[in-house]
Amino acid sequence: MAARSPVITGLGIVSAAGFGTAEVWRTVAAGASGLKPLTLFQSPRYGQIPVGEIQRDLIALGVPTRSSRSDKLGWLAAREAIADAKINFQNCGDRAGILLGTSVGGSYDSELFLATLIKRGKMRARPTRFHECSTTVDLIAESFGLFGPGMAIATACSSSALAIAQAAEMILSGETDVMLAGGADSLSRMTWGGFHSLLLVDATGCRPFDVARGGMSLGEGAAILVLESEESARRRGAKILARLSGWGMSCDAYHATAPHPQGAGATMAMQSALRRAGLEPSAIDYVNAHGTGTRDNDVAETIALKTVFHNRVPPFSSTKRIFGHALAASGAMEAVVCVEALRHQELPPNPGFTKCDPAIGLEPVVELRHAPLTHVMSNSFGFGGNNGVLIFSKAETTPQTRVPKKIQVVVGGIGVIGPGAVTIKEIGAPLPPGKGPVHSCGVLKDAAMLTPNQRRRLSRLQQMALITARKSLEFSGAGVSPASCGNFAGELTGKMPVPLRIAVAIGTGLGCLEDAGAFIENLVAKDEREPMPARFPNSVHNSPAGQVAIDQSARGMNSAPTVGEITFECALWQGISQLANDEADCALAGAADETDKYLLSIGQRWGAWDDKIMPGEGAVVASLLPAGKIASPLARVTVVKLGRYRKPFDAAREAEWIAAAVDLSKVEVFMSGAKGFRQLEPMYESVAAALSERAGKKLAHQTYKQLCGEFHAASAFGFSLAVKLAHEKNCGVLLYTLSQRGAKALCLVQP
Amino acid sequence: MQISTHELKSKIIESLKLQDITPEQIDDDAPLFGTGLGLDSIDALELVVLLEKDYGIVIKDIEEGRPAFRSVQTLADFIAAKRPQ
Repeated sequence: MAARSPVITGLGIVSAAGFGTAEVWRTVAAGASGLKPLTLFQSPRYGQIPVGEIQRDLIALGVPTRSSRSDKLGWLAAREAIADAKINFQNCGDRAGILLGTSVGGSYDSELFLATLIKRGKMRARPTRFHECSTTVDLIAESFGLFGPGMAIATACSSSALAIAQAAEMILSGETDVMLAGGADSLSRMTWGGFHSLLLVDATGCRPFDVARGGMSLGEGAAILVLESEESARRRGAKILARLSGWGMSCDAYHATAPHPQGAGATMAMQSALRRAGLEPSAIDYVNAHGTGTRDNDVAETIALKTVFHNRVPPFSSTKRIFGHALAASGAMEAVVCVEALRHQELPPNPGFTKCDPAIGLEPVVELRHAPLTHVMSNSFGFGGNNGVLIFSKAETTPQTRVPKKIQVVVGGIGVIGPGAVTIKEIGAPLPPGKGPVHSCGVLKDAAMLTPNQRRRLSRLQQMALITARKSLEFSGAGVSPASCGNFAGELTGKMPVPLRIAVAIGTGLGCLEDAGAFIENLVAKDEREPMPARFPNSVHNSPAGQVAIDQSARGMNSAPTVGEITFECALWQGISQLANDEADCALAGAADETDKYLLSIGQRWGAWDDKIMPGEGAVVASLLPAGKIASPLARVTVVKLGRYRKPFDAAREAEWIAAAVDLSKVEVFMSGAKGFRQLEPMYESVAAALSERAGKKLAHQTYKQLCGEFHAASAFGFSLAVKLAHEKNCGVLLYTLSQRGAKALCLVQP
Repeated sequence: MQISTHELKSKIIESLKLQDITPEQIDDDAPLFGTGLGLDSIDALELVVLLEKDYGIVIKDIEEGRPAFRSVQTLADFIAAKRPQ
């Protein structure tokens, strides 16, 4: 399968250490640091602490102005990568996509909205238009004409490593030929105040692996790789810069912020990446470490390195003092460093290190030096114990990368919380800080099944995810969960390992709005005094998935896709991909979203809500298993396909896209996201008609938003209805979902 | 000046949102972290905020606070010693 093995044909990077691969490599090679005092926003308490801030005028570089700061950084990296690869997406049809890691998203811009509201009492909602983490994907896809799958992953500091890994899975499975893969994150008051509240910032700039290290340095930036199948690269005569030969994803399932003290999850991810690449540990010539410079990370990571490499740890270094820790973008930025290291056959240095820490007992590379490099590894670890590891190899090597199998997937159980639609009468005027939301769907009926620590510490969104995940596993035999209020009784057949290897993909469109809102409100109102350290870890989009992992000891891939209305389908795709790649025995796929006072009042300002279109919230998690592993599954999931629609919207073209993936003779019900936002209504109706015409029979058109309200995770409810119909009425259901920003997804559920 | 451990316990319960527990149920010398009340590193950071907000004591390195966070009594002693007069 060498033809489908992923290769890298283009690189783009913007950072505090320079713009463009050439400039960045010069900074890296010199071991120079891009850290400087903060100028982007006022920080009364921490303003003098060095940070990896980009201080160039982005607008002057030609970026689209209707965008967030993260969007602008991502767009610049994409433009460079595309030019570097000399690729024209017009020749790619629907077979070129984009997968980015983003964690902060448009937070920097949305904070301006909160600051204006709190300090001046004025509601200016415009800066929140690009709040969502997925807007960077949408902007780049639209700007450069990508119509294949588009997805954003928000797993904090490992986001872009996961994005690159999953883009590779899409190429390897044959779903796409070309993917832009990487990440983008800007600085924001939230992450700045947040990491300070956790006392994790080194006031003198980070010193990874040094005995006197005192924490991390924050940074920002973006990096994007053009990843394509080898046959695609050869066909168009592209220069292959390097190969992506292995990747591994795992979860510590240990703590919301702290790494596992012995680096257990990091070890698993590195070993998984080596297995995937078909390489022995001794084949790795260099490791670009996560190396944040915090006391805990650097110790845990080096323990993991010693375990994986049997105490013969290859040369390693952290480049965090060069860039600052650019959170979701860091994995992609370090991927660029790894590819350049391979091309130059040079080991990048680790500025900030002067003296060995006896607790570590290893020294990183201190100065740039020549070394023969064939295979190099890059580590990225994030909040929620989320780990992503990538292995890059010289272009001239022969890939041994393991390929996924084609498998049948069934739904074992499903947990649903909701519907919790808010009626228009319950939405008040814009609310000043301090007042609670007026909506009434905030009480969780099943919260009693959670532990006191889960109840006091976790946000409502995380609690919803925990409860639905537990319910989804309550089919007899998989009894990982301590709770017992499910309604599904099946039996496990065949041989299943104990314990089950569980992967988790729980997406969210907007994340923990209440905790993120409260954290920023407090930061702005009190000028960074009295922060809320317990709220900050909840603000990352992968906190529900991470908490589910802890609750279920789920140490497989842990992902949080965030892609507007198709968030759930992306989670479904990720879960199935883990099963097909034999990295999990069971995958929990779901989506969750909550409303808060700002979402309600901004929506009201924009006229989004009326008597028929009500904001909603809730969570759905389904447990997925390979067919044949349980005796009486609820339903089969036979097709999941992601993409982007063209504008103007063409229903006949959509029907053709669906018919290419789905046998329409097996479909009785067309389940759509209509009855929500008005602009999507005629699009759904026209596709329903075009599809009936194509199928030569009248498909029943069913909708779900009248039941659960309008919110990003709502298609998960559509899925739960589809499973119910397939199970009880024995009919095939096609779930078809459009996002307002151009993404689309289909999913076929069969008895 | 020594501070009341009862008052300190009430503040801890409130700031950490501890559920189903009263100040009377917390022993002055019982460990706060690990086995005792079952607090974790994020609770320690909340205690850092509490020390600054209510007692004007600024902790910049969590290691500095670690000996003080052993029990309610050690925390009360730490506050008495460090509190700006």
